[in-house]
Amino acid sequence: MSTIVLLLSNIWAKKARSFGLAFAVALAVMTVVVLTVVSSGLESSAAAILKIGKSDFTVAQKNVSDVLFSYLDTHQLAEVRATKGVANAVGALIETERINAANPLFLEIGLPLDELTPFGVHVLAGRPYSANATHEVMLGWRAAEDMGLHVGDGFYANGTKNTIVGIYSTGISFGDLGAIFPLSAVQAYNRVPGAVTLVFVKVAPGYRIGEVEKRITYAHPELTTIRTVTQFGRADRNLVFLKAAATGSTILAVVIGAIVVGNTMMLSLFERTREFGLLRAIGWTRTRVVSLLLGEGMVLAVVGAAVGVGLSYLVTSILQALPQLAGVLHSNYTSEAFWRGLYTGLGMTILGTLYPALRAGFLAPLQALSHE
Amino acid sequence: MNEHHAIAPTLSSQDIEPTGIPVQGGHISALTSESRSNVEKGYASLAIEVIGVTKEFDGGAVRALNGMDLRVERGEFIAIMGPSGCGKSTLLHLLAALDSPTSGTIRVEGQDLSHLPDPSRYRRQTIGLVFQLHNLLPRLSALANIEVAMMGSHRPHRERTVWARQLLSELDLADRERRHPPQLSGGERQRVAIARALANDPPVLLVDEPTGNLDSDASANVLALFARLQREYGVTTVMVTHDPAVAQAAGRILQMRDGRIGDPIGA
Ligand SMILES: Nc1ncnc2c1ncn2[C@@H]1O[C@H](COP(=O)(O)OP(=O)(O)OP(=O)(O)O)[C@@H](O)[C@H]1O
Ligand SMILES: [Mg+2]
Repeated sequence: MSTIVLLLSNIWAKKARSFGLAFAVALAVMTVVVLTVVSSGLESSAAAILKIGKSDFTVAQKNVSDVLFSYLDTHQLAEVRATKGVANAVGALIETERINAANPLFLEIGLPLDELTPFGVHVLAGRPYSANATHEVMLGWRAAEDMGLHVGDGFYANGTKNTIVGIYSTGISFGDLGAIFPLSAVQAYNRVPGAVTLVFVKVAPGYRIGEVEKRITYAHPELTTIRTVTQFGRADRNLVFLKAAATGSTILAVVIGAIVVGNTMMLSLFERTREFGLLRAIGWTRTRVVSLLLGEGMVLAVVGAAVGVGLSYLVTSILQALPQLAGVLHSNYTSEAFWRGLYTGLGMTILGTLYPALRAGFLAPLQALSHE
Repeated sequence: MNEHHAIAPTLSSQDIEPTGIPVQGGHISALTSESRSNVEKGYASLAIEVIGVTKEFDGGAVRALNGMDLRVERGEFIAIMGPSGCGKSTLLHLLAALDSPTSGTIRVEGQDLSHLPDPSRYRRQTIGLVFQLHNLLPRLSALANIEVAMMGSHRPHRERTVWARQLLSELDLADRERRHPPQLSGGERQRVAIARALANDPPVLLVDEPTGNLDSDASANVLALFARLQREYGVTTVMVTHDPAVAQAAGRILQMRDGRIGDPIGA
């Protein structure tokens, strides 16, 4: 018999308790993974807005709760465009609208006709809208496919009935799930003449992106530039709150989990006092006894974490299937979520096991042996 | 520290075939020239030295040992007798470094027990202890109970099971290795505990009432084993017993009374 077999047989000998401990770990890990996966899903789908156009970086208004609440006027757009090193700057007005139950946050982009090509829009069927049309729309091919719409069909959006004049592709799935209108039509419907939400900037050859970004934010302290998803997270306060909530819940899950694990381990310590006394009496070192208990905890933590990741998958699927949440909640299974789950499981187990394990290691052998 | 290992050098150097399997039964009959020669040379010939040891419990209300003196030669087999409560088990616990004396000095194999750098290692390597109440782990098989004692020892992993089996067969328990303690008789458990005490080839064996649960045949076997360990490996054995017939197997019988040794009986 090796130490690892002894360890496993100890776990097996107390099946109910081991199961309970692993389950506590699984619940905590599940909570953490679901929160991570959902917040990361929201982040990446929100950040996908930044990627709907071909650009080196995006300019938005600073300190808005949702990046779609960003607002730049004609003047600001012109100044960004005139900044040294900017090859071109496309201003887009972006909004989301509830089209139907399946599309509660349908993406609508207002773009000037002459910016379609620089923005990376390819017309797959039909034609682009005309520059100042008020009832014309181009539909992303994925949106068209989802809703079963074709060129020539009617499409209620942006406050009016539009005719689908073309089907486009941007090559970016998020962009292809939306619709593009003439900029003036979206501005008119939202009563924000001349305004745009985001400016997509392409840097001229020979200029460094970071330099151009700095130049813009220096001249416009009210604006911020976004190049990566992380920077986006900082621009969007809702996401900041969401991620803070996820972190807070992780800490809470670890603490509650550690208490549950610690409780179980203390019970186990009292039950197994004689065993530990005997092991010490026949020459086991303190370290060996402590390691045995920590090892038992670790095995259960890993099993619990694996179960927790599986449960999280189940829970996000159920959440996404709820009619109230359909289309809003996106899950994004990153390796980060997986590692976070594992760390949570191991962290709470180490926290919960350390004290009982040390107590076991430091038992006086004789007293422990006469323990009832 | 090799000279302290009565059995290990024999098993590893002489009885292990190139395959790693010891020759059946060979380890007991082969002599350990090393340990014998140490005794002959008179090298640290005292195995156990107890000098003026007092052990009090409950803040002095109970005095289990009272200025006890004891010297045991290396390779000696002694029996300690005495009325219940005279301090026999307490003495063995002190010798096993499971407890420390209130005052006085104890040296085992030249090591002062109050200054042991690593008491776990001492318990693992220097002594084998058989408790008065068989303290086996009830969830583990007889074989595993012996193997557990070898965890952390120098014996290579692959040899441990083989050695544990050999000890079991030495104690007539070969067909009981898979049984768990609740499925063993009192005497069988006692013998498993003895096998476990021998697992790390200790130079000193401390046994508390080894024959308490054994019938006369089984007692005779266990006593013969102790005698053989003494004769062939120079193992120092301290055996506590209340049975005068059992005590006769030892080379020296000591009477304990009120926490100290009385007049020696026999030679
Ligand atoms: N942990 C303890 N706390 C208090 N008193 C103790 C403790 N251990 C032993 N004693 C007392 O010390 C005395 C000696 O006990 P010990 O167990 O050494 O006796 P013993 O000679 O082994 O007896 P027996 O033959 O019945 O096993 C007894 O009076 C006992 O009650
Ligand atoms: Mg006793």
